[in-house]
Amino acid sequence: MNQSMNRRRFMQAASSVMTVGALSSGATQVSAASSGELRLNMSAGNFGEAVMSAFVKPFEAETGIKVTPVYQDLRVAQVALMVKTNSVTIDAILINQPNALSLAANSYVEKIDYSIHKQQELDGIVEYCKHPFGFGSQIYSMNIVYNTNKFPANKPRPTTWAEFWDVDKFPGTRALPSGQFGFPAPWEEALLADGVVKDALYTNDIDRVFASLDKIKPHVRKWWTSGAENLQILRDEVADIALSYDGRALALIDQGAPIEISRNQAKLMWDYWIVPKGAPNAQNAQKFIELVGRADRQAAFAQLFALSPSNRRAYELMPEKVTRKLATYLDYVASSYPVNGEWYAQTGSDGLSNSQRLIQRWNGWIVR
Amino acid sequence: MEALQKLGRMPTGLAVPAFAILLVIFGIPIVQLFLISVNAPSFSVVNYRAFFEQGATVFVLFQTIEMSVVATVVCLIIGYPTAYLIVAAPKSVRTTLIVLVFIPWLTSGLVRTYAWTVILGDHGLINNLLLHLRLISDPLPLLYNRLAVYIGMVHITLPIMILPLVSVMQGIDKSLMAAARSMGARPSAAFWRVFFPLSLPGVRSGTLLVFVVCLGFYITPQALGGLRDAMLSNFIAAQLASSLSLAPIAAAAFILLAIAVVMLSIFGLDVSGTPHETAQPLRKSSPYRLRALGRLLQYLYEIGIRYRANRWTVHLYQPIGNSGRSKIVGAVFVLLVMVYLLFPGLVVVIMSFSAGPFLEFPPSGLSLQWYRSFFGDPSWTLAFWDSLQIAVTVAVLSTVAGTLAAFGLSRTYPRLRVFLMMVILTPITLPAIVVAVAAYLGLINLGLIGTKAGIVLAHTILAIAYVVVIVAATLANFDRRLEQAAKSMRAGPVRTLVRVTLPLIRPGIIGGAVFAFIASFDEVVVTSLVSGFSIRTLPLKMLENINQQLDPTIAAVGSLLTLLPVLWLIALYLTWWRSKLKLQGASANQIA
Repeated sequence: MNQSMNRRRFMQAASSVMTVGALSSGATQVSAASSGELRLNMSAGNFGEAVMSAFVKPFEAETGIKVTPVYQDLRVAQVALMVKTNSVTIDAILINQPNALSLAANSYVEKIDYSIHKQQELDGIVEYCKHPFGFGSQIYSMNIVYNTNKFPANKPRPTTWAEFWDVDKFPGTRALPSGQFGFPAPWEEALLADGVVKDALYTNDIDRVFASLDKIKPHVRKWWTSGAENLQILRDEVADIALSYDGRALALIDQGAPIEISRNQAKLMWDYWIVPKGAPNAQNAQKFIELVGRADRQAAFAQLFALSPSNRRAYELMPEKVTRKLATYLDYVASSYPVNGEWYAQTGSDGLSNSQRLIQRWNGWIVR
Repeated sequence: MEALQKLGRMPTGLAVPAFAILLVIFGIPIVQLFLISVNAPSFSVVNYRAFFEQGATVFVLFQTIEMSVVATVVCLIIGYPTAYLIVAAPKSVRTTLIVLVFIPWLTSGLVRTYAWTVILGDHGLINNLLLHLRLISDPLPLLYNRLAVYIGMVHITLPIMILPLVSVMQGIDKSLMAAARSMGARPSAAFWRVFFPLSLPGVRSGTLLVFVVCLGFYITPQALGGLRDAMLSNFIAAQLASSLSLAPIAAAAFILLAIAVVMLSIFGLDVSGTPHETAQPLRKSSPYRLRALGRLLQYLYEIGIRYRANRWTVHLYQPIGNSGRSKIVGAVFVLLVMVYLLFPGLVVVIMSFSAGPFLEFPPSGLSLQWYRSFFGDPSWTLAFWDSLQIAVTVAVLSTVAGTLAAFGLSRTYPRLRVFLMMVILTPITLPAIVVAVAAYLGLINLGLIGTKAGIVLAHTILAIAYVVVIVAATLANFDRRLEQAAKSMRAGPVRTLVRVTLPLIRPGIIGGAVFAFIASFDEVVVTSLVSGFSIRTLPLKMLENINQQLDPTIAAVGSLLTLLPVLWLIALYLTWWRSKLKLQGASANQIA
């Protein structure tokens, strides 16, 4: 009796795990679907608080839907596991571009329902944030950040990646993000330092990336692996020049830390809101995504947390002193470039995505 | 009653509850994972070949083993004398020391790792002190290298080494040492020939636990190490963050498991074998030594009682190296170990009073705002209570199931025992993230994702491993004849268990329960998956904070957790003191 039970359970689970997208399998549905609920996954901290007050509170007031925030870093394999085993407990997830796109490519996510968005709002949204399977509401950037004690205003300061790489002209310790996750990573910066122009960054020249990284490797004190570590490295002055998120650096500048951001050659990035297949409250998630696209909500958000709105019309609703801090402020647009998430998620003939190819290369490179 | 007696007659049956939990929550899904790793149903070894074809992965696999071995050896070298000195100390000091060894474990591993960056950093405590004293002109590169990783790893695993050693050493009859020395054996000879062989089960179980725990290390090498100091779990985590497929992850995990099995079978997995049967393969000379011990004891009995009594009044129950100097050396050694264990915690406590918005040392100003932020935010206090409930339940469940299993295993054939022990150890040998995926699959089958019961069961498969290893080590020195004696006097199996066996192995059971509690209270990787995003335990909440905010609330939580055992210690001393007063009062009354 007992044995046959185990065997049945095993067969059940095995079939639900191994058959990709077998949504009809008999696995347990974990959370009950209900019309008045929405479970959101996002980062915690000041960012999460800003999402709550700029987006979630107005959404609840407008729709009467009860929102439960789930603050947890979700790995892409975890999302895939939830969908495959038909045990999705989250309705909308904010996830980085390559991960969102590879989930989309494997049909793990619902299409974004743009029909419920107002045309006027949609027209304001920058093109790259309106993906069929994901919607970007905020844009941030990765930049050169230097210590102003080490590089005071009356002396030359490193403002290009070539100068970041130039350890003779700009001596000092460096910090770069680790490439272990494939994204975000210093690939584009390595190419820019080597003289590649920003329109020609995504051409599969992985050898050139690592040849350039070879040159900077001995001067990098720490290859950071998370946003919190990024912040800690700037604050503890581990490095004199770092590749850093603008948000982390701005938080420290507000605290009076002796650092400055160079917006030149900035890499613009954004995360996508996605709706996993089988989400119990997918309809509500679509409604929420409509709200986060509105200019007034995005302007409210940017004033709480310095991330750029994806809706250009939001700029008209904010004072100059706020917009100057944002990655897509008009003066910075010409010198920055949007990251190409599609390229990262692109899969070659061997079944590996460019992200995975870079990870393998990175793993070999670090132990050399 | 009849059923219980039956169980008593069939000792291996005692292991059934533990293995039943293990099978349902972990065993079946791990088979599923194995099938995934060989791409069932088409069956191919492509994932395994891919693993070995990448030079870097193989390199890091060996590096993982190397780092785990070094950390384990260092732990043993520091842990053995520490445990010895703790056991030799008077009872009141002993309790304090054991609690102090455990305090670091209650501060989350993440926070402690961060504290090491504060201590070892380029502008950290040590460098600033040396620069200030003008002993150096440039900061020493103490952080972001292999040494820093070892410092962090040993700091986390040292309590795991010390506890099994202490629980085994406490069970060693000290009159054996006294006997040896009264026979003229020098202290060192008495130690190496009598005490050390008897303490070997503790060495074996401590080494085993530390080694398998080290194999799964992930955050410490990433935060404290340099570019090269990656371990296999770092690769696995990166894979999980970038790939939708579980197959390569599962393949890597099974390779690690296979290596662990090979290493452990070379080491000797037979934790609960008696010293007599297990010491043999390790050291050829031990039969001789044991015979020497036997002769020694025999000789002892032949000595005149009066002479023996005289000698014993001088030497009985005294630790080796009774001279003043070795006492000081011992005290200094224990002090240094305690400083090493507790200093990062102290840094955390100081940072918790910071007035600034981020964790920093020294704090820019003093305030209690982060304590207010903990107590004022129901999500923190709720998380604390949830974690406490879960950890207590796990401790009870796994201590009962684990102790029974240890009994069952200690009374079965050595071969079967070694195999079953490896099975029990698998959950803590595999990288946590793989265990998490397996437990997730197991709990989905039961419909328990996102429930407290689910989290308890998932934690229990980890906690049982600790309990079994520690209790089994205590059982190794257990004299089965005491049970036979009880039975010969018509005590039933239950009565024998309650009145004879349990009291004798109590240190092991308590140690196992403490481990089980902490293993659950500190667990984050497995919980993050099986909680189904509906239950937030304290470590999950702390992880979310440290990943995003790095504000001193986590330091405040760490400090509060440190405070609990300290308060408990004070309460313990107060009750001792009061009962002492009462006793004195009673005797005074009698005299009057």
